[in-house]
Amino acid sequence: MELRPDLTLPVIEYEGLSAEESADLRKAGIVLAPLEQIKGWARSNSLWPLSFGLACCAIEMMATGASHYDLDRFGIIFRASPRQSDVMIVAGTVTKKMGPLLKRLYDQMAEPKWVVAMGSCATAGGPYVRSYSVVKGVDQIVPVDVYIPGCPPSPPALIYGLNKLQEKIRIEAAGKKVPV
Amino acid sequence: MPDDVTEGQAERTAAEKQAVAAKPAATDAKPAAEAKPAATDAKPVAEAKPAAEAKPAAAKPAKAAPPPDPRVVAATAVAEQIKASLERALGPGVVDETGAFKDVPQLVIASGKWLAAARFLRDEPEHAYTYVELFAGTDYKDKGYIEVALYVQSVANNRFINLKVRTPRDDAKLDSLTGLFPGVNWEEREVYDLLGVVFTGHPDLRRIMMWEGWNGYPLRKDYSPFENIPVKGGNGS
Amino acid sequence: MCALRSEEMILNVGPQHPSTHGVFRLVVTIDGEQIVDADPVVGYLHRGTEKLAEDLQYVQIIPYTDRLDYVASMLNNYALCHTVEYALDLEVPARAEYLRIIVMELQRVASHLLFLGTYLLDLGAMSPFLYAFQEREQIIMLFNEICGARLTYNYMRVGGVQWDAPPGWIEKVRDFTAQMQKKVPMYHQLVTGNEIFLNRVRGIGVISQEDGIAYAMSGINLRSTGFNWDLRKNRPYSIYDQFEWAVPVGKNGDCFDRYFIHLQEIEQSLNIVAQAVERVPDGPIIGKVPKLVRVPAGEYYRGIEGARGELGVYLVSDGKDKPYRLKLRRPSFVNLQILRKLLIGQSMANLIAILGAVDIVLGEVDA
Repeated sequence: MELRPDLTLPVIEYEGLSAEESADLRKAGIVLAPLEQIKGWARSNSLWPLSFGLACCAIEMMATGASHYDLDRFGIIFRASPRQSDVMIVAGTVTKKMGPLLKRLYDQMAEPKWVVAMGSCATAGGPYVRSYSVVKGVDQIVPVDVYIPGCPPSPPALIYGLNKLQEKIRIEAAGKKVPV
Repeated sequence: MPDDVTEGQAERTAAEKQAVAAKPAATDAKPAAEAKPAATDAKPVAEAKPAAEAKPAAAKPAKAAPPPDPRVVAATAVAEQIKASLERALGPGVVDETGAFKDVPQLVIASGKWLAAARFLRDEPEHAYTYVELFAGTDYKDKGYIEVALYVQSVANNRFINLKVRTPRDDAKLDSLTGLFPGVNWEEREVYDLLGVVFTGHPDLRRIMMWEGWNGYPLRKDYSPFENIPVKGGNGS
Repeated sequence: MCALRSEEMILNVGPQHPSTHGVFRLVVTIDGEQIVDADPVVGYLHRGTEKLAEDLQYVQIIPYTDRLDYVASMLNNYALCHTVEYALDLEVPARAEYLRIIVMELQRVASHLLFLGTYLLDLGAMSPFLYAFQEREQIIMLFNEICGARLTYNYMRVGGVQWDAPPGWIEKVRDFTAQMQKKVPMYHQLVTGNEIFLNRVRGIGVISQEDGIAYAMSGINLRSTGFNWDLRKNRPYSIYDQFEWAVPVGKNGDCFDRYFIHLQEIEQSLNIVAQAVERVPDGPIIGKVPKLVRVPAGEYYRGIEGARGELGVYLVSDGKDKPYRLKLRRPSFVNLQILRKLLIGQSMANLIAILGAVDIVLGEVDA
């Protein structure tokens, strides 16, 4: 039976190997890549976020995880404990009272870890920027990898932001700098 | 018909006139349940009207010549009745001021009699104001006092009044109503936290929104976030 | 005395906890499985809305009300607009009233669906969450069509609404209502008869009627005690008196009653929507309101029946275009006070069942 061409593996010619050796590897289903890149590929496809809902954005985050948008298909499964999670989605307004706790949760997460600032409150204070009790952006407390604008960002926006994070993880694993 | 009513409304509001009563049609068009029971109450006490007219005028200085809103008149009459009843029970000087806004009667209680008046109005079956709807503090910086408003509903008599009490800004102190209405517990804590009113007799008077160590009372009019820097950070416990 | 002695232990629940519905912290003292004391700590989402509002014009405050009870934003919008209209004695055009009623009641359905989903998720049932969000998503899509936002709508204005219904929207609402009315029995089949669920919620967290009134509770929490108090009936506002509907009331005041009334209220709200879509009149959607709304000096308070209880706005104006003081009576904040009383003496496993049934939204608790 003929294999469909779109289902066959891509033809990869490795540097320093002869054409026969590359064909042998292909036949055996072996892909050669630097360990870091493979780890980056694996990590980017099983991002487990800490379900860290703070305010309105948390509802959109829940909606993204629920039946209609279904984040599970990206390998993104919400975890309740910081010890089990790789990425912290800061979904909502961070107040001065909450700030130290956010830092503590971030410190409890195991390396490697990433932070997504979801919504304008987490990005820069948003509509509450003039309030006496609000931290003007979560990047004052923890380093942020991806900022998602919106108040609140819609689920597609959150998915886009998480895809960008996956891209970033893969690019950084290859030793390159993420274009800004 | 509704068109020209709204047009008239818009003109008046633009001119910053309060004259609600100038359009009786507007009040008639409202859902009947609001104004009607109070209005029928007011009919027998027609002689209370002169006094009633003077009071809202004092409360609303902007008000000029137009005749008073019938709802305000009726509500003020109710306030006067409650005042009379309070003074019969607790002696004169309980109520500092009476008045009304729209259909809500309003009484300013002397700060020393705050607890006693609230208890009387709650327990007396004639009043039975048992259900607290709102507890709010307001800072009047220019007048030098903080005013606490308590909107209570009498479920049995289907009445709704606003009790108020005033306390000086620099020594803000009031009796706690927690013993009467457990439902004002957190509200009092909030007023303490954000406006700095100390409620004596409150079982658990701590800051509720901000943390202990926060400096200043944010809802006061002279609060500035640049001058009131917290003495220590959020409670990271 | 028993020979075995147990020691008290302090357990900290939250502020980051999947079942506290946000940043709510509960310090419980437990003796074995029994809760001896509970100290709710709120304020982790205190954003100072009331202070910010003092520096904003009335139209500018409306987006901030969206973010209080962020699962029922339409009702928050209405509470503010209604209070300002009441202060100004404004007439709202009939079409605007109907559109408001439709979106408010749909919002109530969406909010109650979210309660159902998350409450059962807290109790360990995953699938109702997925079902509830599926229906909720349809309502959100309808809102998205009418005002362009999924969660923070900013739809209502003083004197009316901002956008008219796009062509075909009313028909879509009619279709959705008919379809949703058929779905409600499915929820009963899925959850209400479930033995495990019943054992977890029946007779748990009982609120007596006296307590309900003394603690100033409102909404479903108060109605579950058997006390018939719904501001849509008791102090009618808008055009609720033109529709036929009933107020569901509980008997025992336990968690089951609260859950059950949520479902019944979904039916009643759909009832109102079904009646409203049939008679939406034509006409303007916003009354004649001055560009700069100035509220005459005075104090105004209006409460409406929010999704969680009496949602009130207390407005002190000194005649300017900005409020002198804006106090929001947030039902979740007031309802939550009884939590300590409900928890003491219960076992630890009931904590989440009781907390979930009080139905709080932290944005509203902390303002």
